[in-house]
Parts: sequence; C-alpha cells; structure tokens
Amino acid sequence: MPAYGHQFMPTYPKLQPSYVEGVLRARMEIFNSREDIEYYEFSVHDENWGKLPFATTERILYVPYLKRTYVDIFIKEEDKDRAVYICSMSKILAGVHQSTVVSSKICSKLK
Amino acid sequence: MKKALALLGLATASTVFAVDAPITGTVASKCVIVTDTAGVYGNPTPSVLSTAAVDGGVEPVVRYDVISADFYKAVISTPDSFSSSPALSDVVNWTGSVSVAEVTDPLMSAYDTNKRTFNNVTEFDLTVAGTVWFKVSSQADYGATKAFPGGNYVSVVNAECIAL
Repeated sequence: MPAYGHQFMPTYPKLQPSYVEGVLRARMEIFNSREDIEYYEFSVHDENWGKLPFATTERILYVPYLKRTYVDIFIKEEDKDRAVYICSMSKILAGVHQSTVVSSKICSKLK
Repeated sequence: MKKALALLGLATASTVFAVDAPITGTVASKCVIVTDTAGVYGNPTPSVLSTAAVDGGVEPVVRYDVISADFYKAVISTPDSFSSSPALSDVVNWTGSVSVAEVTDPLMSAYDTNKRTFNNVTEFDLTVAGTVWFKVSSQADYGATKAFPGGNYVSVVNAECIAL
C-alpha cells in the first residue's frame, strides 16, 4: 500500500506587514502527498487552543495530490500577541468506506 | 599541427570541466505525517469491532518524519465514535491505545515510556530527529447481548503534529 503524507511549513512562521493597514500576514506552504485527501482546512489558535479570527483566500483549500501550494494567513495586528498556532487539517470526504481513516493535522507556532 | 590539436583538446576539456550544474536544496525543520497503513475492523463476535490482528482486524499505522529534534510533539487520538455507521440504538463503549511500532533511532524507544495519555489522546514529544511509526489499536464494544447491525462502519484516527 502506498504511503500518504501531509506537510505544512514553516515550523515557526513570522508575521509580516501585509498590503492592508493593521493586518499582518504569514505565508505558509502546504504539500499534499495524501492521495486520499484533496482538501485542507486552516485555523488560527491562541495558547489555550481557542480559535482566533483570521482571513485567507479559502478556509478550506483544494490541494491536489502531489501539489505544493502557498497560503497567506491574515491576522489582525491587535491579535498578533494572542495568535500562537496556525494549523492545517485534512478534510475527509463523506462517503469514505474504509474502516478507519487517519485525519492529519499539523500546527506551526508563531514566535 | 599535433601540438595545436593537443592544445585544442585540452582547451575543450577544460571548458567541459568548467560547466557545472548545481543542485541546491534546503533542509528546514518540518513534520510530515504519513498514513502508512489504513486500519480495518475485524468482527470477532457480533458485539465487537476490533483492529487487533487476533480479531481479524488491521491496526492503522501512522508515520511521523521529523527533520529536527525537539521541535514537535505528536498527538494521536483513538476513535471515540463512528463517523459513519448504521443506526445504533445503544451506547458503544470505546477503548484504544497508541504505541511505538518501529523507529529509525534506538533512542526513540523511550517514546513509549515517556508518552502521556489522557482520555482517548496520547502525546509523544518528538525528541529525536528521524522517523517513527505509531500503531493505533481501537475496539468498539456494543451492548453485551446486542449485535452490531449489518453495514459499513467508519471511524477516524486523529494524528496531529504540534510545533513546540
């Protein structure tokens, strides 16, 4: 059986100014080598894993098999000290008939 | 004439050696989660679904590739519900565990000793660079006198890699 992987980088992204005043941006890279997964969802969390508001082009992104995609995560400047984790999580389509399915989630840490 | 040809040959050779084709690469800290083996539930008795080999099941195996030590922790949750199943009229009792199956560095064998388990979640600090395989066991028990209705059962193992 082939192996299926999920990569999300960098480990420690940095928030940088964006083209919108008062909004910071982190550029993330996702690589999908899971043939069984085509969609990934992004989220931003504080240190207690509470969800924080953020913006991106698509919250659930289509990432074809063996494709690398860059994602810009926009966070309000006022939230920059609260935002700790940026995560990507595989989305499993309904109708999967496999007995157990592995959902993968990788979280990078803002420092 | 011979001398001139020899010089020309040398010049050509030196030109060939001057051509280089660099291959560049970057090694950055990262975590890769790989699903090596998809699990299968065996049905040893009408009221039990189990991934154990003795029960006719297959344990899912999740591989973590970590480039740098001490940058990530692995958090793996065993199923505590079916994501899809036939209608069930009684409560399902779930048990499960996660353990190290294979390692690429002998130091990783300490992961099992140092793991933290709470509820259906097991955490491992990935303190050694390299690859480690975790096997996940899962069992669903239906009421003692009840049989799981016929149909397709799917559950989800959550494998997370959290930057420290």
